[in-house]
Amino acid sequence: MSDSILRVALAGNPNVGKTSLFNVLTGSRHRVGNYSGVTVECLEGELSRRLRGDGPPMRLIDLPGIYSLSPTSEDERAAYELLAGEQRPDVVLLVIDASNLARNLYLALQLLELGVPLVLALNMVDVARDAGLQVEPRELADELGVPVIPTVARSGEGAEAIVEAVRRAGAAAGAEPVLVPPGPDDEALREALEGLGSLPPVRARTVLLGHLAGVAGPGEPGRWLDGQPAERMRAAAEQLVSARYRRVDAILERLGVRERMSREAPAMSRSERIDRVLTHRVLGLLIFVAVMAFVFVSIFSWADPVMGLIEDAFGWLSGLVSDVLGPGLLTSLVTDGLIAGVGNVVVFVPQIALLFLFIGLLEDSGYLARAAFLLDRLMSRLGLHGRAFIPLLSGYACAIPAILGTRTISSVKDRLVTILMIPFMSCSARLPIYTLVIGALFVSHEPVFSTGIDQGLVLLGMYLLSTVSALAMGFVYKRTILASPTPPLVLELPPYRLPRVRDTLLMVIDRVGDFLRGAGTVILACTVVLWALLSFPADRTGAGEGGPTRVAQSYGGKLAQGLEPALEPIGQDWRVGVGIIGSFAAREVLVSTLGLVYGMEADDDDPAELRQALREQVDPDTGEPQHTPLSGLALMVFFVYACQCMSTLAVVRRETGGWRWPAFMFVSMTGLAYVAALLVFQGGRLLGLG
Amino acid sequence: MVSRRSFRYAPRPVTGRETTLDTLAVGDDAEVTAVQGPGGIAVRLLEMGFVAGTRVRLVKVAPLGDPLELRIRGYHLSLRRAEAAHVRVRR
Repeated sequence: MSDSILRVALAGNPNVGKTSLFNVLTGSRHRVGNYSGVTVECLEGELSRRLRGDGPPMRLIDLPGIYSLSPTSEDERAAYELLAGEQRPDVVLLVIDASNLARNLYLALQLLELGVPLVLALNMVDVARDAGLQVEPRELADELGVPVIPTVARSGEGAEAIVEAVRRAGAAAGAEPVLVPPGPDDEALREALEGLGSLPPVRARTVLLGHLAGVAGPGEPGRWLDGQPAERMRAAAEQLVSARYRRVDAILERLGVRERMSREAPAMSRSERIDRVLTHRVLGLLIFVAVMAFVFVSIFSWADPVMGLIEDAFGWLSGLVSDVLGPGLLTSLVTDGLIAGVGNVVVFVPQIALLFLFIGLLEDSGYLARAAFLLDRLMSRLGLHGRAFIPLLSGYACAIPAILGTRTISSVKDRLVTILMIPFMSCSARLPIYTLVIGALFVSHEPVFSTGIDQGLVLLGMYLLSTVSALAMGFVYKRTILASPTPPLVLELPPYRLPRVRDTLLMVIDRVGDFLRGAGTVILACTVVLWALLSFPADRTGAGEGGPTRVAQSYGGKLAQGLEPALEPIGQDWRVGVGIIGSFAAREVLVSTLGLVYGMEADDDDPAELRQALREQVDPDTGEPQHTPLSGLALMVFFVYACQCMSTLAVVRRETGGWRWPAFMFVSMTGLAYVAALLVFQGGRLLGLG
Repeated sequence: MVSRRSFRYAPRPVTGRETTLDTLAVGDDAEVTAVQGPGGIAVRLLEMGFVAGTRVRLVKVAPLGDPLELRIRGYHLSLRRAEAAHVRVRR
């Protein structure tokens, strides 16, 4: 990193158009930045060539949206550490909402206390102007002592002036901290600041608030505060915040907007009318269900044709390669290993893109905050934030986008709880397994209702079991290994706005790219390993075509045969064991792997032949049918719980930054699956079933 | 439930026309007099603008009875009843 690059951090409240401005300034060329010790992701990008002109380069960092610099949430701690730590930027560009100045200026005062060179982007001046809340940038600049540039990030208005002001601020010698002094009656605050006198003034203020919040780190200053009467230090903290807000009010007063600003943000009166419908006691819930149904159905079904096309394309490519190379081990490696592996990665892209498109549009419009408002009561029973709802629901379609979607949850522990819950939701890849087993084994001659209804009820039972299990496991994790108090809900309900499609699409592209880079390589590697397990020792005589004997002699087949003592108690044999091993690539692969084991070309969509084979297979020792409804039920229950999906584990590794949590997830879920299947099979036999 | 357990500050008795934010009726306006409750929540509430003397209105209650939608300093904020109970107000 060269010294001549000006490093600029973009800070601001959530919903002020910070990311829009970032996209305007960078010309949307950016990537996810990496900062040691910062758990929250920050985007990073270079100033666009058009705005840079002949000037020096500039690197922009988009901080998470924050309300204050007191480290009471992870976003705020990350922002504080970036702004005050060793990697502190040369200039801070603070984006504030001109139509909602009061709370925005509170953050501005904290940044002034920090003493970093500051430039203010007075954003959404068009909205404020329309509402008659004209704020003169010049006057605000005089009040705060920093440059104030009016901008409309949506249209890019003001970008050139921002670049110029930031360059000038970067060239200046630096900035002195501007502190809000205690008021005449603020005895407690004066006393506390004196007691913390050994610290730099801004640090003393942060420590005071952090200590009350119980998040100040250990060390000298904390110990001094521990020795003081708690009520006194509480009063000091209160006086500090009050003093800052008094200063904000004084500024608004001199700008002549205090009275109107304190009443109603202009965009809010229209939003209140919209909310009469969208958060209405009855209509609001109905509309929410409709919106969620729409999102869910589209992830479930709209992505399907595109996924089919991707699969066809990779199938075509495989065909082409085997035509060119001819049969052989190399062909098998390229087609069944590499091409299938890349296909396994790319096939998730439509679902991920769709989910993030919806999340982005809902978030940007302001509806996601309302969804959390509507659902918080239910989620807080579990101990989670209302925002956990959408990722959990998405888990029914596919765990991969759902786990990526947990990024909207700001508490690390709650995010982990949600990530651990998601794979329990029965995703679409379990459906082929359920339908195969139900279709093969749940065909009684004396149906309870009719065969169709009986089968449907069994399927429904699997989905209910998975939902109840996910909620129960969340409840357990939240109270044991990831125990933390229910996060307080302090949720801004921003004015409704038309979503910015461009910004949302950029975010979707970011997320997809992230997934391909972060999880794709692991998925590819796993596919090749699984291919090797089922292909070696290589069949030197055959033409490379798989068959029952070859699979039986492969390492995977041997492994499954070795596992048979463990498979028998849950009503399965080694053939199913091979299927379980193969289905680690993706659960639906169970169907084609079983087809391979039974020596047939199984069609994923209608494996009629395979169903027949499963039904007719006989246990060589007893002469009884090998597969019964009971063993089928045990197998399905196994798949309800088992984390048979390398892609899920790869994404969890990507999102949690290590193998610890994916390892925990795999071991605990497989253990649970085995125990549950054992209970079903052995319990069922005791009851005289099967 | 969990937040109750970490409540360490005995609430002062509510006197006269003083009450807590969660007891307001929809449409009521009031003035903040003090913020109580566990430190983390208190700091958060203070910094979101709940300092003594600020006007606040209860705009709406969520369909399931919790949380609340409040208007303060010209913007809208949602708090759970349990958190709103830490804010003392005067009508």
